[in-house]
Amino acid sequence: MKFTWKWLLDHLETDKILSEILEALPKLGLEVASVVNLAEDLKSFISVEIIDVKKHPNADKLNVCKVFDGENTFDVVCGAPNVKLGMKSVFANIGTFIPGLNLKLKKGKIRGEESFGMLCSEKELTLSENHNGIIELESSSELGLSISDIMDLNDPIIEIEITPNRGDCLGVRGIARDLAAAGMGNLRDLDIIFSEGEFDSIINWQVDLDENEKYLCPKIFGRSFTNLKNGESPSWLKNRLIAVDQRPISSIVDITNYIMIDIGRPLHAYDIEKIKGTTLKISKSKKGDKFSALNGNTYELDDNMLVISDEQSVDDLAGIMGGERTGVTENTTRMFLEAAIFDPVSIANTGRKLNLNSDARYRFERGLDYNSPETVMHYAAAMFNKICGGKFSKIVNFKLEQKDKIIKFNPKIIYQLTGVKIENELSKSILEKLGFKILSQDDIWDITPPGWRPDIDGIADIVEEIIRINGYDNIPSIKLLRSNYIAKPAMSIKHRQAFFASRILASRGYNEVITFSFLNKTMADQFNGGELALNLVNPISSELTDMRPSIIPNLLLAVQKNVNIGAQDLSFFEIGPIFKGDSPNEQISTITGIRYGDKIKKDWQNQAVQFDFYDIKLDVIKALDAIGVPKNSLKIFQDAPGYFHPGRSAVFKIGQNIIASFGEIHPKIGDTFGFNKSAIGFEIFYENIPLPKRNKISRPMLKISNLQPVTREFAFIINEGIESDKVCQVAKSINKDLITEVIILDIYNGEKIPQDMKSVAIKVTIQPIQETLTDSVLEEISANLINAIEKKLSGSLREI
Amino acid sequence: MISELKEDLQNLLNSITISIKNSRSSSELENTRVNSLGKKGSITVYLKNIRDYDLETKKEIGAYLNDIKSQINKLILDKRNFFKKEHLKDKLNSEKIDVSLTPYETEIGTLHPLSRTIEELCAIFADMGFSIVDGPDIESDYYNFTALNIPEEHPARQEHDTFYLQPDVNGQRKVLRTHTSPVQIRTMEKIDLKNFDEIRYIIPGRTYRSDHDATHSPMFHQCEGLVLGKNINMGHLKGCLIEFCRTYFNEDNLPVRFRPSYFPFTEPSAEVDIGCKKENDGSLVIGEGEDWLEILGSGMVHPRVLQGVGIDPSKYQGFAFGMGLERLTMLKYGIPDLRPFYDSDLRWLKHYGFIPVDNPSLHSGLNGVFS
Repeated sequence: MKFTWKWLLDHLETDKILSEILEALPKLGLEVASVVNLAEDLKSFISVEIIDVKKHPNADKLNVCKVFDGENTFDVVCGAPNVKLGMKSVFANIGTFIPGLNLKLKKGKIRGEESFGMLCSEKELTLSENHNGIIELESSSELGLSISDIMDLNDPIIEIEITPNRGDCLGVRGIARDLAAAGMGNLRDLDIIFSEGEFDSIINWQVDLDENEKYLCPKIFGRSFTNLKNGESPSWLKNRLIAVDQRPISSIVDITNYIMIDIGRPLHAYDIEKIKGTTLKISKSKKGDKFSALNGNTYELDDNMLVISDEQSVDDLAGIMGGERTGVTENTTRMFLEAAIFDPVSIANTGRKLNLNSDARYRFERGLDYNSPETVMHYAAAMFNKICGGKFSKIVNFKLEQKDKIIKFNPKIIYQLTGVKIENELSKSILEKLGFKILSQDDIWDITPPGWRPDIDGIADIVEEIIRINGYDNIPSIKLLRSNYIAKPAMSIKHRQAFFASRILASRGYNEVITFSFLNKTMADQFNGGELALNLVNPISSELTDMRPSIIPNLLLAVQKNVNIGAQDLSFFEIGPIFKGDSPNEQISTITGIRYGDKIKKDWQNQAVQFDFYDIKLDVIKALDAIGVPKNSLKIFQDAPGYFHPGRSAVFKIGQNIIASFGEIHPKIGDTFGFNKSAIGFEIFYENIPLPKRNKISRPMLKISNLQPVTREFAFIINEGIESDKVCQVAKSINKDLITEVIILDIYNGEKIPQDMKSVAIKVTIQPIQETLTDSVLEEISANLINAIEKKLSGSLREI
Repeated sequence: MISELKEDLQNLLNSITISIKNSRSSSELENTRVNSLGKKGSITVYLKNIRDYDLETKKEIGAYLNDIKSQINKLILDKRNFFKKEHLKDKLNSEKIDVSLTPYETEIGTLHPLSRTIEELCAIFADMGFSIVDGPDIESDYYNFTALNIPEEHPARQEHDTFYLQPDVNGQRKVLRTHTSPVQIRTMEKIDLKNFDEIRYIIPGRTYRSDHDATHSPMFHQCEGLVLGKNINMGHLKGCLIEFCRTYFNEDNLPVRFRPSYFPFTEPSAEVDIGCKKENDGSLVIGEGEDWLEILGSGMVHPRVLQGVGIDPSKYQGFAFGMGLERLTMLKYGIPDLRPFYDSDLRWLKHYGFIPVDNPSLHSGLNGVFS
């Protein structure tokens, strides 16, 4: 909402200066977005008379002019088509900053002719978009004066953000009223001359709505005007409209726009000559009705949109936009003026369906002053009469009787809800200044909000009005003390798991990223997603259409982006949601990681080693261990999803639940990203981790032995198809008390090893507990171990 | 006779001494030792022959010989120690390495600045007794709007730029939550009023709006706060948020301003500004100067919202607040641009990220080692 300082003073009688008002506005909830004073920018532009015009010797379209500012003469090269001898215009001397061109004027030669300044268009002064020629000042204008004085530009333009509840402040008067209530001055009376009108209105209303639907148009007023002289508006009116970004069109249109900004009351003007018949009908549209709006577009209407039609057809979308056919033009002499109250919900629905925005819709949606149709008929009539002359008719109207809204209010609630102690008399006075009517009986007040505040409908709204005007600075600041003094973690288990895992992963070299929850359809399909229910109706781009079924594709994109800018070795993780469906329990939090490139870089010390399946496996084991899953509770299976390499991937399960899947990303997916190395990734589904029934904080007693451990090495030949880790598992099972560790030293299937067999060499660590082990005990362990491998894995000790 | 013998021995001692002195290695020294004191060594031979002399000669030469022998032993020992020292010196010299070299480092990773901000918020609000909860990103229209007192035709809806998912068989469209506020409704629905005293929650999470330019991202993060109890009033809202702002920005005297505003789900509502100074280069100094910067929205939970979840607004009241986490992060850490937050550029992550051992907490500080 834009207005000017002088415009505000039309409604507010105040001794405050601009800066005080600017400080007061945000305290009332009217946030100041900008303040512009054109006069500051334009003070060096001066009025001159063109005393000589000669054709430029080297350019057809240019003229060399002499301009006179009352004292000095300047030579200026000018290309404007409207330049003529004796004309008064706006001149910028050398060194002047031209805001519309964003440059500082320098002395220069234009096609060989020297120019000592510039004659300016409205666009160059940022007064409007008009660049058809230089500004023509009134012939009576004094020379050598600042343009801001001549054009009355010394009027700062203030823009404030209006929250959706404050439709009343979409007019200058509403803003003035709030300021007055806050003690920033007095609200002037609105200058209204009540006049009955000289003749019966030429046009009448017909409300063609069922009784139970009359609420859609509870009030509509109209009045006919004749003998009008439409044309260009006086400059004060044009200047004000330009200042608030309204394009001056013709007096009739300009007056309706002016009143809309002035008191927040949209109006619509019909050209009576163009109305078929003498009745305008308010009704609901039928599907297929067509309507050509004033903006030049044609709209096909749906059922049940509120419209106004004459005998011919629909030509007004109530509260949103008038029709082109019955609109006023320069030649209009007879005009019918409409001011109505329409149901905001109906307006909002129609506007949204047709995607049609207008200043009127914006105001109707936010609620208008219920009493405004009556008053504006008189307010506007006086203004039309003054500017366009002519006569006006009696008022024709339709209105539903409406009961005043009464809110029962106990002033004690102010303290209870806000902690603000305020005298009842002060509260009452604030409300009354804002236009509320109060009938107090005992403790309970019967409050009727003013017609311009349809947003007020409860106790809390009234409390806000009082403390808002009283000042939010007067709300006490009360410390919110902890109520639970036992230190309970603020984070849930799930949050803590994410917290711990992120630290393990980062310390292992992963960088945390945050990527979008949506991706393109191809990737969604590739990663087992892409269901219709997870597809966006209105995506921001074709790359972001589907909710992600996995974070892996996002991380692959991250790798790709970095590879494209020259990075080589990358480890990324993200903790975030994936989506299997659109219900809350189908949103799953995962910890997902990708590694790509070298684990060890080639340098003076080392040869390069690439990340592989086993690095990722270890990352997963370490992360899981940190978030409460011991390694020995995991079972490994080779049935990872299809986006992994079928031979180089696995899943960890606890019972039936998949805890993690990991491995090399399928090379065909890597190809689509243009990778020349394998990407290795994992997904940890940490919500599947079973929670311990009871969280044991104390730990089992540590048993340690001071005796030297003994190691023994073995090599077994087993079938190649047997998982090598089985050898370790069997070896460990021989004596769980004494065998503390079994490590695979080597796997070999070359020379001397039979076809389809492999040699697995292990080192077994045996830890004596109470006494040193005798040779015979060690022999027995060895024998049992060899025996067990033979029996369980059909393996044999390799003879060396 | 004695004197001749002594002279011979003195000559022998001299030659052995020279030989020890001149030996250039432990093996040469060992040769000298064997040649003099070994089984067939020159001194040993004299010692063996001593029994052939008369008693007096025996006595005198014996003592003389022992003296020589111990002199030689000492010389050898000294020489040996000398060689040991020399050897160690050579060894150390030979073991010298090029300390200018640095091995290629597998670098430790970083945590994203947004996670960091969420953790800082958790630490600050945990100290005020809040717990952290979350809710789904895909919401029904009811939770995202209607239950928050934003009916379909409400002008506030248009400001939300909502993402819609494909409608189901009944024509119902789910939305991507446009704010974290729906989780307020979900948490209040779960309240068991029979055993209810007070709740304090913060709800950090992802939010979505179909807007993409230099200052808007289709996905961003908010943190919602909700306090509900019997005696919670707007003064508590003020106290709580002032404490938060000052702690988060690490400024004891940070000016904090509350300004009337409007949110459909709170009444009265307030926007919160902090004091700052806008520098000519466009950067901001928090806590100084004349300007104000809006950082969060808040208000007393709207009675209609409470009624909607079955809570009697005449018995319980509370406040809610919401803030944009990217903005908080950018302000605190001087990050100039929003878009790189989601670009996964390793250079950005390393520059603005945090090492995993830097856990923000009130006891170790929210701002690293030196704050």
